[in-house]
Amino acid sequence: MFRYIVKRLIEIIPIIFVVSLLIFFFIHLVPGDPVRLAAGKEATLEEIERVRQELGLDKPLLTQYVNYMHNLLTGNLGHSLKTGLPISDMFENRFSVTMTLTFMSLGWALVLGLLIGTISAVFRNKWPDYVGMLTAISGISLPGFWLGLILIQVFSVTLGWFPTGGVESWKSYVLPSLTLGAGIMSMLARFTRSSLLETLKEDFIRTGRAKGLKESVVVRKHALKNSMIPVVTIAGLQFGFLLGGSVVVETVFSIPGMGRLLIDSIAFRDYPVVQAVILLFSLEFILVNLLVDILYKALNPKIRYDS
Amino acid sequence: MEVVKEIGHNVVVPTEKKSRASEFWKKWKKQKTAFWAGFFILFLFVIALFGPWIAPYDPYEPNYDVTLQTPSMEHWAGTDEYGRDILSRIIVGTGISLGVSFSSVLVGAVVGTVLGLISGYYGGWLDRLIMRWSDVMFAFPDLLLAIAIVAILGPGLTNVVVAVAVFSIPSFARLIRGNTLAAKEAVFVEAARSMGAKSSRIIFRHIFPETVSSMIVFFSMRIGTSILAASSLSFLGLGAKPESPDWGAMLSMGRDYLATSPHVVIIPGIAIFLTVLAFNLVGDGLRDILDPKTKN
Amino acid sequence: MKFHDGTPFNAEAVKINFDRMSNKDNNLRAYRNYKYIKSTEVVDEHTVKVTLNQPFSAMINKFTTGIISPAALEKYGKDITKNPVGTGPYKFVEWVQGDHLTVELNPDHWNKGAAKVGKIVYKPVPENGSRVAMLKTGEADVIYPLPEQQVETLNGEEGVKVERTPSTITRYVSINMLKKPFDDPRVRQAINHAVDKDAFIKVVKSGYGTQLESVMSPTIAHYAKQGAYEYNIDKAKQLLKEAGYENGFTTDIWGNTNSDTMKGMQFIQQQLQKVGITVEVKSMEEATLSDEIYGIKSPEEAKMNMWYVSWSSADPDNAMRSLFSSENFPPAGANTAFYKNDLVDQSIKEATQSSDQDKQKQLYGVVQENVFKDAPWIFLAVDEILYGKRANVNGVYITPSGGIYVREAAFQ
Repeated sequence: MFRYIVKRLIEIIPIIFVVSLLIFFFIHLVPGDPVRLAAGKEATLEEIERVRQELGLDKPLLTQYVNYMHNLLTGNLGHSLKTGLPISDMFENRFSVTMTLTFMSLGWALVLGLLIGTISAVFRNKWPDYVGMLTAISGISLPGFWLGLILIQVFSVTLGWFPTGGVESWKSYVLPSLTLGAGIMSMLARFTRSSLLETLKEDFIRTGRAKGLKESVVVRKHALKNSMIPVVTIAGLQFGFLLGGSVVVETVFSIPGMGRLLIDSIAFRDYPVVQAVILLFSLEFILVNLLVDILYKALNPKIRYDS
Repeated sequence: MEVVKEIGHNVVVPTEKKSRASEFWKKWKKQKTAFWAGFFILFLFVIALFGPWIAPYDPYEPNYDVTLQTPSMEHWAGTDEYGRDILSRIIVGTGISLGVSFSSVLVGAVVGTVLGLISGYYGGWLDRLIMRWSDVMFAFPDLLLAIAIVAILGPGLTNVVVAVAVFSIPSFARLIRGNTLAAKEAVFVEAARSMGAKSSRIIFRHIFPETVSSMIVFFSMRIGTSILAASSLSFLGLGAKPESPDWGAMLSMGRDYLATSPHVVIIPGIAIFLTVLAFNLVGDGLRDILDPKTKN
Repeated sequence: MKFHDGTPFNAEAVKINFDRMSNKDNNLRAYRNYKYIKSTEVVDEHTVKVTLNQPFSAMINKFTTGIISPAALEKYGKDITKNPVGTGPYKFVEWVQGDHLTVELNPDHWNKGAAKVGKIVYKPVPENGSRVAMLKTGEADVIYPLPEQQVETLNGEEGVKVERTPSTITRYVSINMLKKPFDDPRVRQAINHAVDKDAFIKVVKSGYGTQLESVMSPTIAHYAKQGAYEYNIDKAKQLLKEAGYENGFTTDIWGNTNSDTMKGMQFIQQQLQKVGITVEVKSMEEATLSDEIYGIKSPEEAKMNMWYVSWSSADPDNAMRSLFSSENFPPAGANTAFYKNDLVDQSIKEATQSSDQDKQKQLYGVVQENVFKDAPWIFLAVDEILYGKRANVNGVYITPSGGIYVREAAFQ
């Protein structure tokens, strides 16, 4: 197990390297000039060249990449082109905001998803199953920004129950995390259902039933635990989706998190910030997936990791 | 982004050549929700094909005297900010929205399937290369990719198709790879190999058919995802041309009127919702039939 | 008068600031306006004498840049942007990037008592709908900008007031005069006649705004009203016929991805369709757009045909020299229509060098008349500034140029 983890951790290095290389050249390929945007509409050519030099953007791309990697390897994310602030400072508040949002979304998506999924499986092809699955499928059939705007209109403006945005208290996170988590909830509900249905047919469950155990005990004690494996996998895979979704949700709810930062930095062609945010997103995604794989193994000792 | 990265069930279905279609139809009729959802999709296809002839008004024709009217006898779904008939726009837009999502998923499925087959069949460094590449793709936020693609190629529907297709490739590649790995071990493939059949023949004659059913399931679910992805691109102003009656564009252009004339936003939203819902229901139904493990 | 850090505000402080801004090596954005300063001398505690290196009539308007405490400049160096120290009625508390900026009442302000609110928090809220919702729920006391389409939802809402004020913002379509068929003035005039400005204001601006009847907003000095191009499709068709485009032509219009811009571009598309001109709407991300327009090597290289845009000007110099002087062709400036008229160039130059107000008025009048006639733009509208506030908020205004004025902020 330990060797496996070490091996996987080592495998992350080339992926991160390729991701950083890709982002760097990709973002420089996209048309747009941060210097022009920083200097403004009325800037003279001379002014523009001066700012370009000051920001080090006049150097050849390869030199810029070498410098960037050098800084990165020494733990320096660099400075924003737009504000001149160190990127690590800019991440400070935003990172925890986005993490709170992401985990809240994942949290309630897990609870509701498992609940709906279990009910649907137990009452297969009866009305609770239909209602449950329709709810679940509805959740992934809505455009996120649309759901967000409608939630604001109903719960903030009309009913006044929750704030329209910001991050002042836990209440501020309710609507955004509902919006962000809707898709995951659906996915989890569906996978829980099908996974549970599969497990309920296995021999040890039949044995349990034959021994005269109550159905609720069978489901709770035996089936659910074994159905968790694919569900955990899905939850892990969805993590990347949550990070991506935070971009739209943070815009709709004006939440100062990493997603908003990414959008703003892309709009401004703030290269170092864009690179840093994406690198962080990628790293998070990879680490979460590693964690999922480990959990997977813990839940199901039969799985070996040879390849 | 609305793109839900989903892994499909890695399932191998034993092939039964005889009367597969009638067998399928028998089971399909039993899937009540999926059956009706399938009907709805058929209905959408009819609208998509004949939309321009069915629409009561010209979907592009402005009429500044009747802007932002609520649904009435003349305009069943009301009018938008230029006084255009919303129902006509929804009808004509059906073809655009379905066309974009179908073509993008198709491109993603073809490329992804080829990669998955190669990866699964040959294994070794090719497999590792393709799988690591898909890891990278998964780790890369879709949004930036979309913005980058649209920024480089310019706005417009074709480029939206490309951007959305790119998201789909790694998911298909992984799914098909899993199926290929399983099918490779199957007795008949072993047999073909021992008889000296060429690799390309084995892949396309023996392995590919084994992956088709799970691909169909995933394909139908992916359609919904890509409709949502395209509408998110429109939300960011990078999707279909603003005048086009594409549902996502209608939603995004109308959102300033949510508080004053909610029908402008709610109607295209419902159109998207119902369509995506129908595709997901059909996908679920297909899975129940094609995936023997969850059969009763 | 004292800075927020307690150091005195005096002529010496002004000199230090002016020297800083007029020094090329500091790479400041303000250099653009302060480069005309040759030297600044302290005459006495409250007087400075500024010598310019050339006559520049608009300089008086450019002096509006804030003065920063010299002590703070020394203390923070490049980090001064994160720690501003001025003399105003509110002083800086904190700036949490992307979330909010907080200022608090300055108890030592020379005009103590005018501002009564203890603390002001500025929050960026990009989504239009969310911003309006915040005002309704009372989370925000003042919101700006208030999107035109949503004014109606606030009218009659209890506890909320909608305020309107004319702005310095002009809305127009810049036409590339170097390209065919736009090199023909009749084509440009025809386009102007083909667009119904009243309908534009009604449909795109939800009824808020006035027709643009010169090259700048009436709020700017030396404004000379020219009268709008009359909406007349027959006349437009006639002009196109004379120019040899009886059957119209195909072109495109560029703009950013804001929903307002996309709405405006669609409107132009619909209007020009009626005179046989087919317009393709191309919305581009702001950064891409700016690169396509300003990032060119030479004017001939410009791919732009029409650009749907707005301009907010502080003074006539900024409204006319920046946009119509031929020395400001991109990439060197913002004359994106590539407008060149020797009389206009000459008049702008003379006006810049003259300090006689009457002469300036006459010269700028010539410029406005000629530009309007030559039609390098589709002249659309002057925006109205719309903002919403809670009924109990007093003394907060949005200035015509979009500045937020809080010097007398108070709650009822």
